[in-house]
This record gives sequence, structure tokens and C-alpha cells, in this order.
Amino acid sequence: MELLNLYQNNYLIVFVFLCLGVILPLVALYLGKLLRPYKPYDAKYTTYESGIEPFHDSRVQFNVRYYIFALMFVIFDVETVFLYPWAVAYEKLGIFALIEMLIFVLMLVIGLVYAWKKKVLKWT
Amino acid sequence: MLTGEFIAFMALALVAIIGGVLLINLTKVIHMVVALVFTFVSIAGIFVILSAEFIAAVQILIYSGAITIIMLFGIMLTRHDDTSEPITGKWRKLFLLLGVLGFGVAVYIGIYNLDIPQAANTLHVDNTEQIGISLYSHFIIPFELTSVLLLVALIGAIVLAKKDEDDEKEAEKE
Repeated sequence: MELLNLYQNNYLIVFVFLCLGVILPLVALYLGKLLRPYKPYDAKYTTYESGIEPFHDSRVQFNVRYYIFALMFVIFDVETVFLYPWAVAYEKLGIFALIEMLIFVLMLVIGLVYAWKKKVLKWT
Repeated sequence: MLTGEFIAFMALALVAIIGGVLLINLTKVIHMVVALVFTFVSIAGIFVILSAEFIAAVQILIYSGAITIIMLFGIMLTRHDDTSEPITGKWRKLFLLLGVLGFGVAVYIGIYNLDIPQAANTLHVDNTEQIGISLYSHFIIPFELTSVLLLVALIGAIVLAKKDEDDEKEAEKE
């Protein structure tokens, strides 16, 4: 129990870094606001001072292809997550785990080949 | 008993619940997704408190990274500039309140006297290796089923999304 507490206290450093990460930009932006002159006029509020006038909402409807790419990214991300504990514990697991992992990867390779054959990976 | 662990848990739980409430109450979908990210990250912090560091890393990697992106893309595909209309109706609200209260009571009864036996406190020692050993020696079949599930998800998504595209092409040809 002592050891666990000692171990968890290491997360205080993580907490300190988290606080620094939040405070630093806040302080920097606030100081900038204090120091800079404040003289607004209409032209300053446009997105591009010299350029094409922006029109339409920037959040347009996306192409469905982005979604398939995102989904494939998630699926292979999950696969990678399963690879981590396998790689770390590999020396204690031996050849059987290697075969298991090969089956696992093979399953997803089937999915990748299917996606390839269906021309999901092509953009045109 | 005001230990550091308790304070950390309270802060994280508060952030998680506030994120969830904001997720429901905000009107713009992008803001909702940001609130959801706060919930996911604080849940990762709770996993760290429970000495499950690998799960915490996975929570950040998969949920606040990948799942959020996929939800954003999913939102961007649809008509996301709609704002939700307030739903009126007394009976609906009453049933909703009853449902929430019933759920709350059920959960309270369920967890109030729940006795979880104290497990060995060595989870923080080589956390990932422990997960690896138990996953690849005791839980092989669920693990292999996961690969089948992922394959089904991948193929299912392709079938659904590609079909739409082919229809679009045909529509363009006509």
C-alpha cells in the first residue's frame, strides 16, 4: 500500500504540468490584451483584410469518403492497442501468442484487402 | 478522510459529469463534442487513480482521439446546422422524470451494498505486461472474437457507405 501511494504521488508532476499547460497560454494571452493598444474598426474584424470576402458557413457537409477513412483509422487504431500488451508481454507468452496475434492481424488484413478491392482507398 | 486520491477523484468526477450535462444542454454540435472530450479525458484520469494506466492511455488514444474524430465526421456528414426544437408535453416530462428517478433508485439499490473484494494492490507494477499475459493466455477466445467484430464493423461500414456512392454515380449518369 505504501508503495502504491508513493507511485501515485508521481502523478503530482503530471498535475503540475497540466496546470502549467493551462495557465501559461491564459497568462500570455491576458498579458497581451493588457499591453496592446485597442483601436477597433470594421476592416479589422473581417477574416481577410485584403482578399475574397468569405461567404457561407465554414461548416459544410462533408463527403462520405472522409467518414470511411475515419472509420478505418479507428479500426486499425484499436488493432494497434491490442498489439501493445502483446509486444510488452511477448517474452513471457511464447509462440502460441504469436500464432494468436497472426490470426488477429490476418482477420484485419482480410478487411483491408476487402476495402482495397472495393476501391475505398482510392479518392477518385 | 480528505486524501489526495479523494480530491482527485472528486475533481475528475465533477468534470466528467459537467461534461456530460453540457453535452446534453449545449445547442451547437461542435461544442457538444468538445464537452464529450472533457468527459473522456476525466474518465482517463479516473482510470489512472485506479492504477489502470494502460486503460487510461487507451481511453485517451481511442476515445478522445479516434471516436471523437469519427463522431465529428459523422456529424459533418449530416445536416448539422439544425438546432434542436424544444419538445413540449406535460406527460412526456412526467414520464421522463419518473424514468430518471426509477433509474436512480435502481442504481442506488444496486451499488449501495455492493461488496467488491479487495484485489491485490500490484496493478501498477508492469500494468501493460499484466494485461498482456492475462489477455493472451486466459482470454484468447474473446480476443479473437474482437478481431471478427472489427472485421464485421469494417466490412459493414464499407458496404453501407459504398452503396450510397454507387447510387450517386448512377444518379449522376442519369
